[in-house]
Amino acid sequence: MTDPALELRGVRIRHEGAERFTPDGIDLLVHPGEAVLVLGPSGSGKSTLALALNGLVPQEVPAELQGTVTVDGLPTSGTPVAHLSAHVAMVFQDPDAQIVTATVLDEVCFGPENLLVPVAEVLDRAEHALRRVGLWERRHENPDRLSGGGRQRLAIACALALRSPVIVLDEPTANLDPVGAEEVFAVLGELVAEGGRTLVLIEHALDAALAVIDRVVVLDGTGRLVLDGTVGLLREHADELLALGVWLPTALLAGLRLRAQGFPVPVPPLTPSALTTLLDSLRPATDARPPAPREQTPAPPARPAVTVRGLSVSRGRTPVLHDLDLDVPAGSFTAVVGVNGAGKTTLLHALACVVPPPRGTVDVLGVDPARADPRRLARTIGFVFQNPEHQFIRSTVADELAHTLELQRVARPAIDEQVERMLERFGLVEQRDAHPFLLSGGQKRRLSVGTALLAGAPVLALDEPTFGQDRARARELLDLLAELNRAGTTVLAVTHDLQLVAEHATHVLVLDGGRVAAHGPTAEVLGSGALEAAGLIAPPLARAFRAAADPAWHGVTRLADLASLRPAGDETDAGSGAGAGAAE
Amino acid sequence: MSAPPTPDPFAPAPPPRGRFLHALNPLAKIAGPLPAIVAVLFAHGSALPAALAAATLLLVLVGARLSPRALLGLLVALPAATAVLTLSFAFWSDAGRASVTPLVIALGPVRLHEGALLAGAATALRLAAIVLLSLIGGLTTTGPDLARSLVQQLRVPYRVGYTALAAYRFVPRFGHELDVIRQAHRVRGMTPGRGPVAAVRRRVGYLVPLLAGALRHAERVALAMDSRAFGAHPTRTERHLVPWRVRDTAFVLLSWLLTASAILIALKV
Repeated sequence: MTDPALELRGVRIRHEGAERFTPDGIDLLVHPGEAVLVLGPSGSGKSTLALALNGLVPQEVPAELQGTVTVDGLPTSGTPVAHLSAHVAMVFQDPDAQIVTATVLDEVCFGPENLLVPVAEVLDRAEHALRRVGLWERRHENPDRLSGGGRQRLAIACALALRSPVIVLDEPTANLDPVGAEEVFAVLGELVAEGGRTLVLIEHALDAALAVIDRVVVLDGTGRLVLDGTVGLLREHADELLALGVWLPTALLAGLRLRAQGFPVPVPPLTPSALTTLLDSLRPATDARPPAPREQTPAPPARPAVTVRGLSVSRGRTPVLHDLDLDVPAGSFTAVVGVNGAGKTTLLHALACVVPPPRGTVDVLGVDPARADPRRLARTIGFVFQNPEHQFIRSTVADELAHTLELQRVARPAIDEQVERMLERFGLVEQRDAHPFLLSGGQKRRLSVGTALLAGAPVLALDEPTFGQDRARARELLDLLAELNRAGTTVLAVTHDLQLVAEHATHVLVLDGGRVAAHGPTAEVLGSGALEAAGLIAPPLARAFRAAADPAWHGVTRLADLASLRPAGDETDAGSGAGAGAAE
Repeated sequence: MSAPPTPDPFAPAPPPRGRFLHALNPLAKIAGPLPAIVAVLFAHGSALPAALAAATLLLVLVGARLSPRALLGLLVALPAATAVLTLSFAFWSDAGRASVTPLVIALGPVRLHEGALLAGAATALRLAAIVLLSLIGGLTTTGPDLARSLVQQLRVPYRVGYTALAAYRFVPRFGHELDVIRQAHRVRGMTPGRGPVAAVRRRVGYLVPLLAGALRHAERVALAMDSRAFGAHPTRTERHLVPWRVRDTAFVLLSWLLTASAILIALKV
C-alpha cells in the first residue's frame, strides 16, 4: 500500500473570535487516486477544512488548528503554504479572485515559475494543462475575456500545471451558470477517469458532481464526521442526511418520492441519467398526467403589473435589447433567464429605472418609470442589487430601513413603527443597531429586500439574488420571495439557478440576444425546449423526465409534480391524487 | 454581470515600429529624465524649463506611439494650461519687485508688469517641463513592465513587484464596481441636496462598500497566489525578460549630457 495522499488526525479548527470548533475531530485517510466529495450543512466547516488541507488554515487565515494534517507525507503545520502548493493545489469558488496575470498563458505559468521550474518545462506544463481544459487556443487572451466556466477551467489548469498529486476544489461551480458548471464537471470527469490524481471536492451541485466522485464524507452541523463511504451511502442514509440539512441529488429525491407514490423503485437513482433509466422501467397511470393546470398558476389577470412596448436599449454603441414587447402578469413570480449578454440585467434596470428607459416604453402599474419622480417610483417598484452591500448607505440597520421612509416624507412615529415591523418580519430585531456591513450574508440579503419593499412597492425586481451564495442561503431567500409573492407582491428575478426557478417561479421569461425567446408559465417553458434553444440547460429534474421514453413523464419539472403521479393499474385513488397534487 | 466590451487594457502592445521609447527599459526612462526634473525644480528664470520642455516634447512626439487623445493633450491642452498658469501666477507674484519693469497690460484696475509676467511664465514652464519629462516614461511604459524591471534590475523582492502587478488588475474591476455602487445609491435616493458638500458626502458613501469589497477581494487573491507557490523561493523563473541593453545606457547618458549642457547654457544666458 502506498502512502496516503491525505491524512487527517483529530483535526479541530476554530476561527479567530469563534466559539465553536468546526470542523471538530476529523479523522480521515484519503488514498492516491480517490475522488472525495465532502458534504455537510451550512456552517459545518467544509470550506475551513478545505483551507486546512494546504496550510492556509492556520498559516494565513487566523484560526486555531488542533490535530495534524499531512499531505503527501508533509505536515501542513511545519511546511509553508508556498512549498505545500507543489503537493496540493487549490481551486476556489470565485473565479475572479484567482487571476493574477494578464494572459491565460501567464496565468498557468505563474505557479511553476514560482517553483523555479526551468522556462522550457514551464511552457511544456502550461501547454499540457491548457490543452487538457480546452483553453490552449485562447492562451494569448486576457483571462477576463473568458466566461465564468472558462475562468474556472483556467483555475483547474493552473492547479494541473503545479503537477501536485492532490487537488482541492472548494465550491468550484457556485458562481457559475449551469453551462459553466457543466464545463467544469466535464473537465473533472476526464481527470478522474485518467486516474493518478486525488480530488477533494466541496460542492452543492450534486447532480453533476456524483458522476465524478467515488467517495462521500459527511459532516454534521457541529462539524463532526458522521458518514464516510461510497456514493451509495446517500441512498442508504437519505433520511438521516435530509435531517442534517445536507442537500441530496434531485434524482435521488425524485426516486424516493416515486417510491412513496407506490412505484416499484428497487434502487433509487443518484444521477439524472439513472433516473431516466428508472423512469423507462416504470408505467405511470395515464389518467394522472402531471401537466394538469396548476392552481398555483392563476389565470393572467386583466391588468399586467409590467407592460413593455417597443423597448430598445443600447449600451454605448452596442444594442442590448431589441424592440422588446412584454406583459408581466400581476401577482406572478417571474424568473428572467438567459445566457450572459442576453440582456437580463439591462431589462431589469430599464423596468426599475436604474438606467432610465426611453419614455413611453415601460409601464409599471400605470407609472412610466422614465417620467416618475423618485418617490413615486420607489412606491411602485423596488430594486435589489446583486451585491446587497452596494446599496447600503446608512450606518445602522434601523436607519437603513428608515431611510426609505424618510425619502417618502413619512412622519417620524409612523417610520419607527414600520421599521419595527420590518425588523421583526425579516428577523433582524437583534441587529437593529449593527452596521449593515457587519451582518451575515443572509441577513444582508434580507435587509436589502426589506429596504426595497418598505416604501410599499407592489413590484419587486432582483438582480441575481442567489449569485455566489450557498444552497441553504439561496433557498432561504427564495422561500422569502415566495412568501412575499403569495402575499401579493409581483416578483421579477434575474437568475441562473434553474432548479430553484422550477420549484418557485410561476412564470419564466427566456431572453436570447436581447429578444424574448419564450415567456409563459414555468412548466410550459421548461417543458418546451426553449431553454436549450437559448443556449441554457434545463434543470436536472426536467431533463431527466423529458429524456424518458413515455411522454406521460415529460411534463414533470419539479418535485411537487410527482405527487400527482400513480403507477398504472393503481387506480384506487387516482382522481383524488390528482386533486391533492394540484393543491400541493 | 456582463460588462460591455472595452478595449483590453492587458492586451500585449503591438511591436513599436520606429518608436524607440517603447523599446527602452522602463528604468532608463526614469533615470534619464530624473536629473532634468531636479534641475527644473531649482531653476531660476524660464530659459532652462522652456528649453527642456521643448526638447522633451520633441522627443515624445518622435519616440512615442501616441493616441489621438494623447496628441491633443500634448499639443493643445498642455500649452493652454501653461498659458493660463502663466497669467494666474503673474497676478500672485511679488508686485513690488515687478513694478519697476515696464507695464504690459493696463485694463482699469488690472495692471500687469513685464516682471510679473516673466515670473509667472517661469513657474508655469517649470510645471510643464516636469509633466513632460515624466511623460517620457509615463506614455511609453506598461505597469507590468515597470514592475518586472524593478524586480529584475533593482532587485526589488519579487513578492513586492508581483503583488503590485496583481494589484494592477484591480483597477478596471474597481471602476466597474464604483459604477454599480453609484447606480445603487442613486436608486436608494442617496442624492439629498446639491452643491459641493452633498457631493463630498455622496463620495464618502461610495467609499465604504468599495473598500469593503476591495479588502475581501484582495484577501482572496492573496490566498490564491500563496496557493500557487508565490514566495516559495527568493527568486522565480522569469519568462518575460525586461533586459538592460546598451541602448538603455546610451539613452541615460545622452539624457544626462543634454541636461548638463542645457544647464550650462542656461547659466551663461
